[in-house]
Amino acid sequence: MPRLRAVTTSFRHQALVFFADPQWLIPNIIAPFVLTMVALLLYRDVTGPIVLYAILGGGMMGMWGNTLYASGFSIQSERWWGTMESVFAVPSSLIWIIAGRTLWNALIGLLNGFVVLVFATVMFHQPVQVQDMGLFVLAFSLTLLSLSCLGLVFSSAFVLTRSASVLTNGLEFPIYVGTGTMFPIALLPFWTHPLSLSLGPTWGIDAIRYAALGSSQGSFAQGYWGDLAIMAVLSVVYLAAAVLLFVQVDKVARRDASLGRF
Amino acid sequence: MNALGRMADTVIDVQDLFRVYRSSSGLLRKKKKETVAVDHISFSVERGELFGLLGPNGAGKTTTIKMLTTLLLPTSGRATVLGFDSAKQPMEVRKRIGLVLGGERGLYYRVSGRQNLRYFADLYGVPVHIRDKRIKEVLELVGLTDKADEKVEDYSRGMKQKLHIAKGIVHDPELIFMDEPTIGLDPQAARDTRHMVMDMKKRGKTVLLTTHYMYEADELCDRLGVIAKGKIVALDTPKGLKDLVRDSSVIEVEGFGITDVELARLRALQGVKAVSASMSEEKQLLRVQVSDPGEMVAKVTDAVHGCTIIGVKVKEPTLEDAYLWLVEGNA
Repeated sequence: MPRLRAVTTSFRHQALVFFADPQWLIPNIIAPFVLTMVALLLYRDVTGPIVLYAILGGGMMGMWGNTLYASGFSIQSERWWGTMESVFAVPSSLIWIIAGRTLWNALIGLLNGFVVLVFATVMFHQPVQVQDMGLFVLAFSLTLLSLSCLGLVFSSAFVLTRSASVLTNGLEFPIYVGTGTMFPIALLPFWTHPLSLSLGPTWGIDAIRYAALGSSQGSFAQGYWGDLAIMAVLSVVYLAAAVLLFVQVDKVARRDASLGRF
Repeated sequence: MNALGRMADTVIDVQDLFRVYRSSSGLLRKKKKETVAVDHISFSVERGELFGLLGPNGAGKTTTIKMLTTLLLPTSGRATVLGFDSAKQPMEVRKRIGLVLGGERGLYYRVSGRQNLRYFADLYGVPVHIRDKRIKEVLELVGLTDKADEKVEDYSRGMKQKLHIAKGIVHDPELIFMDEPTIGLDPQAARDTRHMVMDMKKRGKTVLLTTHYMYEADELCDRLGVIAKGKIVALDTPKGLKDLVRDSSVIEVEGFGITDVELARLRALQGVKAVSASMSEEKQLLRVQVSDPGEMVAKVTDAVHGCTIIGVKVKEPTLEDAYLWLVEGNA
């Protein structure tokens, strides 16, 4: 079974399942609206590029939250529906099936980030001017892929646990803080920096801001391309880790008979 | 030559298969528990055969089918499916088999039946140029063509079972595993499902199914493995199993007010081989297997004294009686 077909078919199927359930409106329309409001209220006395910084942060929070939520929720749903075993029984490796879903979830996360920008511009009348639109879109897209790779690592744990939603909630805010969505990670205690720097999206966010604002705003990156290079390396590491983890998932799931439980 | 008059061609070979589930409970003082689900079983299934695993709930049927279909690893022993080791070569096995897990779950409810089938056809690697044609064929085969584009959440239980079957055969596997394919279905849907299983056999497929319905096992299966408490207690054709209780008769007692007390009394009677009971609130029906009905009728009616007896009949034993005799530890 070609890997690409497993990825594309599960991407398409995830899209079908996603739109068939009306609750997608909550994380993708209502949550971005709230995040935009929070970002703009936090920085209401500030003017200039810092407002864009905050809005982008809100968008990134939406992207990450949605990727994580959708990854955990989709696997939790598989358990509820009892389809985990059927999916596990096909001759396609589980990692590529989950990868297709995670890509869809990350794409929806991207939509989420975009909705934040639209709300900020249209409803809150905040001008969102991007210095270099081409580099901005490139950084956004690559960050999406990096998020997918990170989501894939977490998904391996979601497959094994019956409490994916608990894990999802537990991981959401540490990543918001750790990746510096709302404020530079330089403000965090020093001991948190290695964790922050090991997260690909941290570099992606910096690259996005670099493209949007034209400077890295005192952050640690040397420049846009440096950010992307580091994010690419981290993403490859995530992907390799995910492949190894899914080999273990296969063994543990078959040993413990855990797939049919819900 | 095999029992079906063909050259033997083994497609499933199970040798000394053993599976134990380990679990623990408690936070500080962890109590570990081990449950033997499948206890050193061996059997084989030949090409074109319709083989049944028959046993009560918790006997180990589903665990066996899950090990054969690569969903579970055996604790020890070996299962070879179509020449591949189900534990060590799972992908090779998965490419060639179909799996029908019954029940309400196991389908994507929010999308249509056709979309469910397309997803699994893709995951099984059905070539794109024949995929939609194949989906159309299986929808016709299971009688779901008219409902194919409706959401699965609107399907009846019988329609869901049909979709389960379509999903299991959409990639045209040569060997099909079915876990209790008629459980929870109304009589009409169960009959339709049995016809589909017979149709698969006519098309040359090998089928292994699990069931605890005697009628189904008798009607469908070429051979049966009776499984109880994880062990295979008998392996034969339905006729061969019935012959095991050929020397027995069944005293059928129909009445009111029969309780577990009377059942225990009957089981303790010397000369009683096995007892089964259908205990509804309105009336109870007992089937008591004995060797010598002439002598035992009086003893059996005496054991249920105080209850209202509507009728007592002596009957020939059925496959169900053979099964009860086996699972009650008489093999």
